[in-house]
Amino acid sequence: MSGVGLRSRSSLVVSLLVPLGLIALTVAIGASGTPSLQSTVTMILCNLIVVLGLQVFIGNSGVYSFGQLGFASVGAYAAALLTLPAAFAALQTPGLPDLIATAQLGPLLSTLIAAAVCGLLAAVVGLPLMRTSTLAIPISTFAFLIVVYNVLANWDAVSGGSSGLVSVPRTTSIESAGLWAAAAVVVALAFKWSARGYRLQATREDEVAARSLGISVMGERLIAFALSGVLCGIGGALAVHQSGVLNPTTFYFAATVTTVTMLVLGGARSVFGAVLGAVAVASVNEVLRGVEDGAHLLGLLSIGRTPGLAAIGVGLILLATMIAMPSGLTGGREAGELSWFRRLPSPRVPAIRAARAIDYRIGGSIDQAADGVAGGSLQAEGVSVAFGGLQVLRGVDLKLPRGEALGLIGPNGAGKTTLVNVLSGFLAPDAGTVSLDDADVSGRSPTHLARAGLSRTFQAALPFPHLSGLESVAVGAMGVGVDRRRAVAVAAEVLTRLGMHEQAALPAGSLPPASQRLLGVARALATGPSYLLLDEPAAGLSELEGEELTSILRGVIEDFGCGILLIEHEMSVVMSLCPRVQVIDDGVTLRVGSPAEIQADPAVVEAYLGSSYLTAANA
Amino acid sequence: MTELAQNLIDALALGSLYALIALGVTVVYTVMGMMNFAHGEFIMLAAYALYVLAGLPFAAALAGALVTGILIAMVVERVAFRPVRKADLSAQLVTSLAVATILQNVVTGAVNARPQSVATPAAISESTELGAVSVPNLEFLTLGLTAVVLAGLGWLLYRTRAGLAMRAAAENFEMARLLGVRADRVIALSFAISGALAAAVGVLLVMQTGQVSPTMGLTPVLIGFVAVVIGGFGRMVGAVLGGLLLGIASSLLGAYLPADLLPFRDAIVFSLPVAILIFRPRGLLGAATGEARV
Amino acid sequence: MLELREMKVAYGGVEVVHGVDLSLAEGEVVGMIGPNGAGKSSVLRAVCGLVRPSAGEVLFEGCVLNGMAPERIARLGLALVPEGRHVFKTLTVAENLRLGGWRNGEGAAAMEQTLERFPILGARAGEHADRLSGGEQQQLAIARALLGQPRLLILDEPSLGLAPKTIDLIYELLEGLREEGTTMLLVEQNAARTIDFCDRCLVLGGGRVRAQGGREELRGDSELLRTYLGGQP
Repeated sequence: MSGVGLRSRSSLVVSLLVPLGLIALTVAIGASGTPSLQSTVTMILCNLIVVLGLQVFIGNSGVYSFGQLGFASVGAYAAALLTLPAAFAALQTPGLPDLIATAQLGPLLSTLIAAAVCGLLAAVVGLPLMRTSTLAIPISTFAFLIVVYNVLANWDAVSGGSSGLVSVPRTTSIESAGLWAAAAVVVALAFKWSARGYRLQATREDEVAARSLGISVMGERLIAFALSGVLCGIGGALAVHQSGVLNPTTFYFAATVTTVTMLVLGGARSVFGAVLGAVAVASVNEVLRGVEDGAHLLGLLSIGRTPGLAAIGVGLILLATMIAMPSGLTGGREAGELSWFRRLPSPRVPAIRAARAIDYRIGGSIDQAADGVAGGSLQAEGVSVAFGGLQVLRGVDLKLPRGEALGLIGPNGAGKTTLVNVLSGFLAPDAGTVSLDDADVSGRSPTHLARAGLSRTFQAALPFPHLSGLESVAVGAMGVGVDRRRAVAVAAEVLTRLGMHEQAALPAGSLPPASQRLLGVARALATGPSYLLLDEPAAGLSELEGEELTSILRGVIEDFGCGILLIEHEMSVVMSLCPRVQVIDDGVTLRVGSPAEIQADPAVVEAYLGSSYLTAANA
Repeated sequence: MTELAQNLIDALALGSLYALIALGVTVVYTVMGMMNFAHGEFIMLAAYALYVLAGLPFAAALAGALVTGILIAMVVERVAFRPVRKADLSAQLVTSLAVATILQNVVTGAVNARPQSVATPAAISESTELGAVSVPNLEFLTLGLTAVVLAGLGWLLYRTRAGLAMRAAAENFEMARLLGVRADRVIALSFAISGALAAAVGVLLVMQTGQVSPTMGLTPVLIGFVAVVIGGFGRMVGAVLGGLLLGIASSLLGAYLPADLLPFRDAIVFSLPVAILIFRPRGLLGAATGEARV
Repeated sequence: MLELREMKVAYGGVEVVHGVDLSLAEGEVVGMIGPNGAGKSSVLRAVCGLVRPSAGEVLFEGCVLNGMAPERIARLGLALVPEGRHVFKTLTVAENLRLGGWRNGEGAAAMEQTLERFPILGARAGEHADRLSGGEQQQLAIARALLGQPRLLILDEPSLGLAPKTIDLIYELLEGLREEGTTMLLVEQNAARTIDFCDRCLVLGGGRVRAQGGREELRGDSELLRTYLGGQP
């Protein structure tokens, strides 16, 4: 592949090396200090792994889970029980099955098993939880945290109850913690930048747009949730092998607040941010803990014992960050993306005129080459929709053949957007059918339709603000199941053909509105659609921009051969692009015909301007 | 039969308590759209007011608790939540988490991490005979207080000018503003109500357990959240229903669970919402939860 | 009374209104027409304080409205009847009206008067607003706005989604208001009616004022047709 990547090599290297370097530095500082410092630093590294677990889910999905420390707890207990010498096990956890009680595994094996247990638990727990709405997830995961706490605190025979476990072998060295932390960083970055990670990020950026690209919101969240559980479990396992003691409150509310603060301070979207935040908050925490026991500040002030000071400090950091700097220290960017590295080259998207990379159709029962069903069409028959007593669509028909452009116009409130929502699966019709290439798809989800070959844009461009243009368009292809490498190539090609290759490296949120709209079109095209529904792509564009859009769309029809349904109010665009135009008014089709016919049709003019206009015009 | 009646009354009392918690959370949610983690700390601080004012006549201490709850809620809103009012809901939730931590640990630092006991009037710990059933006075109080609170809230919302503004703002905040309703005042009022409800819960909890601790607000706030979720967001009726269900379930489980499973009662109760959400992802009353749909 | 000077509105970096000038004197009835997406609603939202103009000024009786909170603007005497009416469905008709009189302390006399002028509302005062038909809700929204005794009444697409007969009724109502001297700014997509009704109209297209004028000037105007349907017929 000719060197088109989502980021330049130097940016990638920097993004990887800086957090790893920070970890190495931390290890070096710790290793050269007193045993007490070593111990503290090792614990910081273990917490870092938990924070990275949080980052994998929260940072990429944009959804807060407050239950991840439940997995750290489970992982810690699992690892502890597997390594506890039999004698101690008999004393503290008499109810443990003999197999586990007598097992005395090494640190590596116990950590791996703990990780597997947590991953499995996360998958099982995540199944029902990820089905719920975005606002219910923080609450139900919080409930999970408390359930874990409750079970561990009461299942005396197995967990040692609320007094917990002691005499767990202390096998975690600062170097091994550092290695695990480094591995976690690599895993987190690899996930974030994988096809799966990108799909999840898309759901964070704009859930509606992501679904329209074939992304399963629940599925992607579940996978990240499971991976997050694994990482948190590893962190917990290593932590218990550092401290040697464990009880249910070790990984409970206070730890949840601390780790969330670490993530938020660093910048949730960024892996580097997680590392930065973990080190920063941990340091502040340690200092404040020292003060808690009473201290003299610079020999001037004397502070008595103040328990809880560290937690207040952490809470204040979190509060201040949310109010003043919600994107954290890194603003959500990786090390290689920060402005310090402004001089680094951006990914170049060369003008590609390669063979069409978009000849694919992925999965499902529709498995055909692009020119397979040449005579296919998207059809709506007798579609009716009512919103609470108000009939918005009354038995509307529409036929969009492949390779043709159909304009859809009509006054405000006529039902055009509702019709598009029905065609694209965002709304189920009360009556009537929608069929795609003769297959009935009425009421199917947008995700299904995207994979079946139907794609759309939205009136509001719905960009992915924090992803670059290239990434945004590549997500379109990834959404329908294309692997990452091919998706990037597809994205490059689409962007080139739309003349956007020079803006490809910029974050989508920073682009001017016309470009964001066009990017939305490019994104939809990357799914390789047979039918493309464009909802007012020219709104807000100047006349010149509108003309440019028209010629681009004309090129799209010629090159990609898809059927295009164009809703527009900018008549110049519709009339010059679409040989056929359908006028909808008050929920019914007024007329289908050529632009000239439409403009001359008295019924159409009346619908827009009223009958007295006509009378005056003809007078 | 007597035992069943006894258990049912216990269950109803607990359900009422949980309904009060859920109401406190919902009042803020309907107007602001945010779930307030710090609500548990409003409860806790009102309870500590009882502890601090223990020397005074009980009525005065109660008044102090009420005032504390209302004041704390309004101050927190002004200082911590107003700056993030325009942020997205996850951000507001995390902000409330920060506030909760700060409040919890300020009390830990100022007083003690350990529970402190609070003297309550002797009458509360006694029971009254009601036919064949012996009902703890506290449960009478809980049921009575809940009834009074619901009536009072209903009066406030449906018979006063301020309540009208709140209901309008809860339905359509923007339109209410266009009619001249002051956003800041409505939000402050909703927090004040929330604080008063929290105070009621705090007082009842103190009388039930005889002690206060800095972490006592944690489980109640979770109960409130879960009740709101299973009832269906943003509907006061749903919150009350969710709270009642949770409380009744918890109490009945406490009465009828086999002894060795009894310690896990809370775990079972809090797994209940998951079960409900599997079948009804939008909660029992299914109010919209902000699901993104074009 | 109301003056817009080169007002621009942008949503998240996307400019949708590119410098609109408007002036409205007391007692005038001015209309703003244009196709969907022309920016009409954005202009209204900016005037009412729901969004801050990105440039230019909005002046009401000499007072600068830019950046003022919507409730303050409402108290200055601007009343908006929004697109889609937005009556409070969970409140009764009477409660909706009480909210309308919010800024004036709800005089009983004003309420009486309103119920007389809108007999349907009087008959259904105790019902919840979601039981009303579209036309009745529109009347409720207008009555609600009037109870505030506004200096300027702004209506955003009052005929949207209503049957022609109902629209006639509404416009009769508005005619009555005009006779009483109420200053009105009327936004509509239905060009013909608005041109007939208003003293003068602004034609908005693509976020700009494309044409202006009174009845005689705009009727049959080809620029108007182009704004709506594009190209040459």
